Amino acid sequence: MLSEQRIRAVLYYLSVLIFILGLPSILSSVLGYKFSRRTLSFTKTGLVVIKTQPSGANVYLDNALLNDKTPATIAELLPGTYHLKIELEKHYPWASNVAIEAGKATRLEKIILFPVRPNIRQLNKEKFSAFWLDEEKAEIYYAGEDNAIYRSDFEGNNYERIATFLQIDPAPVKFVASPDRKKIAYFNKHKIGITYLDAYSGQPFFSQQFVLDYPSGVLFNIFWHSDSYHLVLLANRAVEVLEAKPEAVPIALATLNKKNPSCSYDLHNDTLYFIDSQRAADGNMYDNLYKLELNSRTTLQQLMKMQTHE
Amino acid sequence: MNSTKIRRLLEIIPGFLSWGVIFFLIVLSAWQPAVCAVAIIVFDFYWIIRTLYLTTLLVMAHRRLFKERSRNWLKECQELEPQGSWLKFYHLVIFPVYKESPAILKASLEAIKNSNYPNDNLVVVVAFEERNRDCRANAKDLEDKFKGEFFGYLSTFHPNGLPGETPTKGANATFAAKAAKEFFDRKKIPYENIIVSCFDADTCVEKGYFSCLTHHFLTTPKPHQASYQPIPVYNNNIWYAPSFARLVELTASFCQLIESMRLEKFVTFSSHSMSFKTLVDIDYWPVNMISDDSVIYWKAFLFFKGNYRVVPLYITVSMDVAYSTNFFKTILLQYKQKRRWAWGVENFPFLVNGFLGEKDIPLFTKIRRSYHLLESHVTWAIWAVIIILMPTLPIILGGSFFAQTSAVGYNLPRITGLLFNFTAVASLIWIFLSRTTLPPRPRDVKWHKNILMLVEWIIVPFIVLILGSTPALDAQTRLMLGRYMVFETTEKKRK
Repeated sequence: MLSEQRIRAVLYYLSVLIFILGLPSILSSVLGYKFSRRTLSFTKTGLVVIKTQPSGANVYLDNALLNDKTPATIAELLPGTYHLKIELEKHYPWASNVAIEAGKATRLEKIILFPVRPNIRQLNKEKFSAFWLDEEKAEIYYAGEDNAIYRSDFEGNNYERIATFLQIDPAPVKFVASPDRKKIAYFNKHKIGITYLDAYSGQPFFSQQFVLDYPSGVLFNIFWHSDSYHLVLLANRAVEVLEAKPEAVPIALATLNKKNPSCSYDLHNDTLYFIDSQRAADGNMYDNLYKLELNSRTTLQQLMKMQTHE
Repeated sequence: MNSTKIRRLLEIIPGFLSWGVIFFLIVLSAWQPAVCAVAIIVFDFYWIIRTLYLTTLLVMAHRRLFKERSRNWLKECQELEPQGSWLKFYHLVIFPVYKESPAILKASLEAIKNSNYPNDNLVVVVAFEERNRDCRANAKDLEDKFKGEFFGYLSTFHPNGLPGETPTKGANATFAAKAAKEFFDRKKIPYENIIVSCFDADTCVEKGYFSCLTHHFLTTPKPHQASYQPIPVYNNNIWYAPSFARLVELTASFCQLIESMRLEKFVTFSSHSMSFKTLVDIDYWPVNMISDDSVIYWKAFLFFKGNYRVVPLYITVSMDVAYSTNFFKTILLQYKQKRRWAWGVENFPFLVNGFLGEKDIPLFTKIRRSYHLLESHVTWAIWAVIIILMPTLPIILGGSFFAQTSAVGYNLPRITGLLFNFTAVASLIWIFLSRTTLPPRPRDVKWHKNILMLVEWIIVPFIVLILGSTPALDAQTRLMLGRYMVFETTEKKRK
């Protein structure tokens, strides 16, 4: 037991010694101090953190190649400006002058190294006139020149025909899929076409493809309401709402002064944001941003019913 | 200042220090995040060195335990005193019992019966609490089986609510020890020749426990001025216990092994033994304190003016891992048990109060022992919080400027992570040692439990936080606020 106690005493004092000797070096490293053997003094340094996309690039600091590849941290840099160059084979190099401050970490974490020959691939298998992405489901929709809708994944694989649509003239400006992904609306200045996707494959889909005329104005944009049944129309003189059924009649929700209003639709809250001009007290016309809430289905239906009776 | 006020002040100190350190670091992390980061790194580095140092002690103690396992203590007693005078020593074993079932006690008594020390020198007292309505039936059940097996077998029934007492294990053990004293008086056996062991109800001794204890009693200078502490292991039901409960108890065993190497800090814990004469001289266990197992040491320490120590016995006594019927009940059970252990912080006001009126103990000893006691409890409460939770605080509270642009903010999580990984080295050693202390796998336990018992060490950080720091903080806070704990027995469950 006695010898064990002696060993213990040795271990204890050894531990104390390691703590006393190790702590300054750990703390100086953490605080960014560098010890100079030449001057026997500590100098406060800074560091630079480099992350690239893709990783594994060579790092040159003042034209000297470092051992570490990205992601890399270069510590104990004396304050000053350094020339940093990052190179990766078959990618454009990145270079910049970097200012290092004492006790500070300079973070270069958003460096993208672009390939010299970008990876461009053709995805479509057939001729098409328009396409749009469904980011949520990672799918690409194509409007084919044969008046059919096609679908593939983001790599162009699993390319399949999923529906047809009625042609409108001139060609559609834009295709918009409904939030439930069962319908697609498309439009030009005076016509709105709607086609039901799930009606394809054996169903008498012709009855669920229709085109609505919009003679009263010029359509600029259309949006699906979150119920996937109503369409919100933005025309040159009005904001209107329309049921997605044959022979539906649009209902004006607001009249506009501006002929070509810009707008954005928040599908999550069913709210339309649009710019319109209004005359101010000084008699001049000013552009204002307006918010039209269509988030209550009941309210929307009541509004439509009321306006239909009128 | 009167003694009540001093005692109250002393009760506040541990909790105040623990919460003070935590709050100080929280405030510092928002106010001076760089300073806080440095403080955390200093503590982390200190903790790694300490862990490696203590792990080395664990290896030494473990080696000693296995070395002494092969010793034939009975033979060594005989060789020590060939005339057989060692047989003059009687062993009194007290089992304070409250709600524990007779089945648990039967296994413990069976282990004593099967020990290699002559049963004619063993006296067993099963100390029941009268407030348990089944106590007399249980006593009868055990008496029928064990009454004639030892030199003496007593069942005592501790009345509820005796003056000056609170319902604690110590009160029951004291009542039993007084009954045993009457028994020995009748048999005219001098107290000097009696060694008393106070065991938890689930304590199963090794075959050579009493021989080992007798040998140490014979070979220790001033044997009456020492307590004898075996190494507690929790092997009775370890193969059936849930992972985290098993890990907690394994860690407790290892801590006890480590403490056995730090003799100047070693204090009695759980099941332990001592001279009956000393027990009578110091007026038995405290009857109003929960941590009777450690307070008895400090009572003796004060009685002998600091000339009292704990002698480690490198022999195990096996107890039960505390677990219950489901995960949450087991967590709660473990939490309450660890909080009761952490309530040992009540020793600090007891000890310092004792020191204040004592002039014969050197001041250095007083300061050193008080500091050790206080430091161990404060560290118990805060170390896991500082190591596991605090490193993220300066980053969160210190603002984006500190986290994003300062070298310390960048280095803090990396350095603390690196230092924390060093504990993995210690963990590997602990895992290896844990395998060597396990009893053989029961037949009804599948082989893949072996793999689980290796993998489960991953949850150690969670355990040290939930069942390490938190119950200790809870106990210290209660003491600080004067909301004193009441004794609760820990449910014991065996398959």
